Amino acid sequence: METLLKNDLVTPLQDYYNPNVLLNLGPSHPAMHGTLRVMCRVNGETIEDASCEIGYLHRAIEKLAENKTYHQWIVYTDRLNYCSALANNVGYVMAVEDVMGITITERCMYIRMICLELARVIDHIICVAINALDLGAMTVFWMLYTWREQAYTIIEGMCGMRLTTSYARIGGMAYDLPENFQAEMKIFLEGLPKTLDDVEKLLSANRIWVDRTKDVGILTAEECLGFGLTGPVARASGVDQDLRRDRPYYNYSDLDWDVVVATKGDVYDRYLVRMEEMRQSLKILKQLCAKLPGGSIWTEDSRVLIPKKKDVYEKMEVLIHHFKIFMEGIDVPPGESYRAIEAPNGELGYYVVSRGGPKAWRIKIKSPSLALFQSYEHSIKGAKIPDAIAILGSLNIIAGELDR
Amino acid sequence: MSKDGSSAVFPLTLEYAVRWARKNSLWPMPYGTSCCGIELMSTLSSTYDLARFGAEVVRFSPRQADLLLVAGTITTKMGPVLRQVYDQMCEPKWVIAMGACSSSGGIFNTYSVLQGIDEIMPVDIYVPGCPPIPEGLIYAIMRLQDTIEKGLPRPKAERLTPEQARNAMSYREVITDSIFKDPSKSSLEESLAQSAAPEAAKTKSSHSTKEG
Amino acid sequence: MSRLLLKNREAQDGINGHLKQNYAQQGRYDEDANQEGILWLVSSGDLPEVVRKLREDSSLAMDRLADLSAYDNVDGVDGAGRFVFFIHLYSSKFHSRMRIKCLIAEGEEVPTLTGIWPMANWLERECFDMFGIRFRGHPDMRRILMDERFEGHPLRKEYGLEARQQFSDSLPIRMVTENEVSK
Repeated sequence: METLLKNDLVTPLQDYYNPNVLLNLGPSHPAMHGTLRVMCRVNGETIEDASCEIGYLHRAIEKLAENKTYHQWIVYTDRLNYCSALANNVGYVMAVEDVMGITITERCMYIRMICLELARVIDHIICVAINALDLGAMTVFWMLYTWREQAYTIIEGMCGMRLTTSYARIGGMAYDLPENFQAEMKIFLEGLPKTLDDVEKLLSANRIWVDRTKDVGILTAEECLGFGLTGPVARASGVDQDLRRDRPYYNYSDLDWDVVVATKGDVYDRYLVRMEEMRQSLKILKQLCAKLPGGSIWTEDSRVLIPKKKDVYEKMEVLIHHFKIFMEGIDVPPGESYRAIEAPNGELGYYVVSRGGPKAWRIKIKSPSLALFQSYEHSIKGAKIPDAIAILGSLNIIAGELDR
Repeated sequence: MSKDGSSAVFPLTLEYAVRWARKNSLWPMPYGTSCCGIELMSTLSSTYDLARFGAEVVRFSPRQADLLLVAGTITTKMGPVLRQVYDQMCEPKWVIAMGACSSSGGIFNTYSVLQGIDEIMPVDIYVPGCPPIPEGLIYAIMRLQDTIEKGLPRPKAERLTPEQARNAMSYREVITDSIFKDPSKSSLEESLAQSAAPEAAKTKSSHSTKEG
Repeated sequence: MSRLLLKNREAQDGINGHLKQNYAQQGRYDEDANQEGILWLVSSGDLPEVVRKLREDSSLAMDRLADLSAYDNVDGVDGAGRFVFFIHLYSSKFHSRMRIKCLIAEGEEVPTLTGIWPMANWLERECFDMFGIRFRGHPDMRRILMDERFEGHPLRKEYGLEARQQFSDSLPIRMVTENEVSK
């Protein structure tokens, strides 16, 4: 049975006594993390029924994939989960390299792992900070955001942009690491844990925080599996899945780190999981920075390797090759590949279908936020309105990824 | 009168005082939809404090704000919502289109993205960048403060036709020759007609725009 | 190249082998660039049954739906059918993946998977929105990303990238009061 709402300006008298109020937490709302819309049927403060609407940020990124070359589409991947743009870049180029059968160099691999872990840390910073801000803890927001600025300084040194990085390239990276990289990372790696300790002192045993987040928005492990949730939210519910450990890509299996799993699945557990995951990511980053090898960041595969400028000026075939790479695009053989990485929000997958040529035939992005927001409807039924806000903050829904 | 006898009151005209008050207390309504919203949050946080410019109070209700900071892509589904929010703001109100997406659609020239919020509302300052760095947004706010202080006119930006955009180099000469020599010529039509440039066809928007 | 660990490679190969042996009679078996198995179904009507069997099969244990969508096969390269509908499955026990693909004709209805995994609900709505593929038995078959008055299906190859349809107001949201999915 569908209840169609009418735009009635005159409320019939019987509705005046109706305890159910229709409340629209609209697309423009301070607690809506991006452009989400939830229509709730509210009885007092309890949400009896909810219906979510998305699509307010649908930018046709998948359609653009069919009209832009593989290289041109890298900039659109940043705009998916814009809080951790580096991870999206790396995931996409990994998928295309699978279709082409390209192996990257050691140094490139380490740089990409650094990008992935750095993206994880900054995404969790935003999630915890915004979640705290929604519940009133503004100090946590200011404290954590200064560390995001330090991360921005590092990322700006790597690729020139703070937020929408477009750092990875098919077959390598755009630029090599700058000279002051290790020094800046040292500041980050030594300073952030202290701030995380401060945040934990402020929040973890805080009566208000605990009361507002414990036993709120509980998702059981079976529900997580049914909704296809992955990432910190699923791990907070006890689902012990982490693609970095279960299906390791790159060198994750050689590093020493732990997967963080909690038991109950409420907002408090998700907060704890994210804080500990940040620490684990910093541990991984320390090991990566210590082991960073030298060498080239570009693969030797001539299909994607941009030739040296000197050769372009002197040799004819190299000039034509350079021209073809940039004007037409790289030629990807027919095939398909689904490549998923453990993005900060969960399993971010790119399904690249190629029918030959420089443009993709179809790229489907498996976005973790879609599953998370779908479970939101289920989570807030029976909860109170402030709880709904707390749950939304803990899910870390990024609208860019949700609507693509 | 202060303690040492000097006067702390400056004689002003009321209008100047009102403009000074308005420019120094712009209360933004952050309408952050996508990536620019994150840079907006960076601007509001402690490293690039926007509160120094009077934007201390970030109001999420349009009725209590006077500056609408549209940061992020506005899609066709979101357009009516944004217009409703703009209509709910009280005069005087200003709009800053932050980032490429809200200025012109940005990198998304697709079926579901508005090619610039000036399709549906008048914009005062456009901030280029994808996303603009916080210094860029601060510069935009300072320019807006300048506009308010000097009481400069707020003309609606003239959109280029694709023809004009393709002739960017020659178009620029037309602009610099005509408009900047004569600031009173704010209308593009007049300046183009003056320098005998090709006829500027006015772009028609796809649906009726309500005049702000 | 995918640097899967040896144990993952073995698990994935085991899954691929089991699929090839036991399920290939339902259609045909293929492998993608990452050596992950693709099961081509003959008809989309088999889908819920095959998926249930894959979930209950103890040597496959495909218990998580990773993704669901389609792509346009307007040039017919993948066979006779307008769209190729695919789903991605993940096995939590063996940490391996597989794909199920199926050719569907224009106007054909695919049986829904929302009874098995609630995640399929919005994914199928998106598939309908973008391609026009309807799902039989779906509790709430309406557009999700575009406005409900939108005509056409954007991800079809004939839909123009810049063909805008704009509406000057926003529709009131419809509340579907029975969100429960019947098995």
